[in-house]
Amino acid sequence: MALELILFSFFALIAILCALGVVFHRNPVHCALLLVGVLLSLSGLFILLNAQFIAALQVIVYAGAIMVLFLFVLMLLNFRGESSVLSPGAAKGFGFLFSLLVMVELLWTALSPNGGEGGGMPPVAALPADFGSPAAIGRILYTTWLYPFEITSILLLVAVIGAVVLAKRKFA
Amino acid sequence: MHPLAVPLVAYQILAAILFTIGVVGVLVRRSALIIFMSIELMLNAVNLSLVAFSRLHGSMDGHIFVFFVMAVAAAEVAIGLAILVAIFRKKETANVDDVHLLKG
Repeated sequence: MALELILFSFFALIAILCALGVVFHRNPVHCALLLVGVLLSLSGLFILLNAQFIAALQVIVYAGAIMVLFLFVLMLLNFRGESSVLSPGAAKGFGFLFSLLVMVELLWTALSPNGGEGGGMPPVAALPADFGSPAAIGRILYTTWLYPFEITSILLLVAVIGAVVLAKRKFA
Repeated sequence: MHPLAVPLVAYQILAAILFTIGVVGVLVRRSALIIFMSIELMLNAVNLSLVAFSRLHGSMDGHIFVFFVMAVAAAEVAIGLAILVAIFRKKETANVDDVHLLKG
C-alpha cells in the first residue's frame, strides 16, 4: 500500500515539474521532450488506477504518434528563438490572474466536502476482475459505444484529408 | 468498501494543477506550437480526472471517454499543425501576435 503512495508522489512530482518546463522553457524542442515526460508519468498514474489499456494507449498514441508529429513540425519549420517567451505587459498579468482563478475554482470543487448534489463522493467501488483490460474495453467499445467509435473513424479520415490539403504547397 | 492507498481526491488535485499549468501556457506564451502543447497538457489533465472517476465508480465508461479524447486530440493536432505550417510558409512566423490578417 505504501508503494502505491510512493509511486503516486513520484509520478505526480515528475508530471508537475515537466509541465512547468513545457510552459516556461525557452527552447521549443526541450518543451516537446518535457511534454513526453508529462505523458509518460501520466501513463504510470493510469496503471496505478487499474487502467492498463489506457496507459498503453497513452504511450503509443500520445508519446509515440502525436509527439513525433510535434517534433516533425518543429524541425521542418526551423523556429527562431523567441526574443521574449511570454506575452508583453498586460496580457501576461491578465493571463496569470485568470489562471489563478481557474486553479482556485478547480481546487475548491475538488476539495469541497459536499460537492455536487449527491453529497460528496460515493464509496470506492469493488472492481471486476478484468477491469481496464483490452478485452473488457473492446467488448463495451464494440457494443455500447459502437456508433461513436465508427464516427471517430470518419473524424480521423477527415483530419487526414484536411491536413494534406492544408499543408500542400500550392494552397500556402 | 476497501479504501485506496492514494485517495482519489489526490488525483483530482493533480489534474487541477496540470490543467492550470496548461491554461497558463495558452494564455501567456506567444508561440503557436507551445500553445498546442499546452492544450495537450489540459486534455491530459482531464483524461487523468476521467480515469480516476472511472476507478471510483468501477465502470469503464471513463476509459472509453479517454479513448475518444485521444482520437479527437490526434485529429486536432494534425489539423492544427497543418494550419501552423501553412501560416509559417506565408508569414515566416509562428507567433500568434503577428497573425492578424483579419484586422482592418
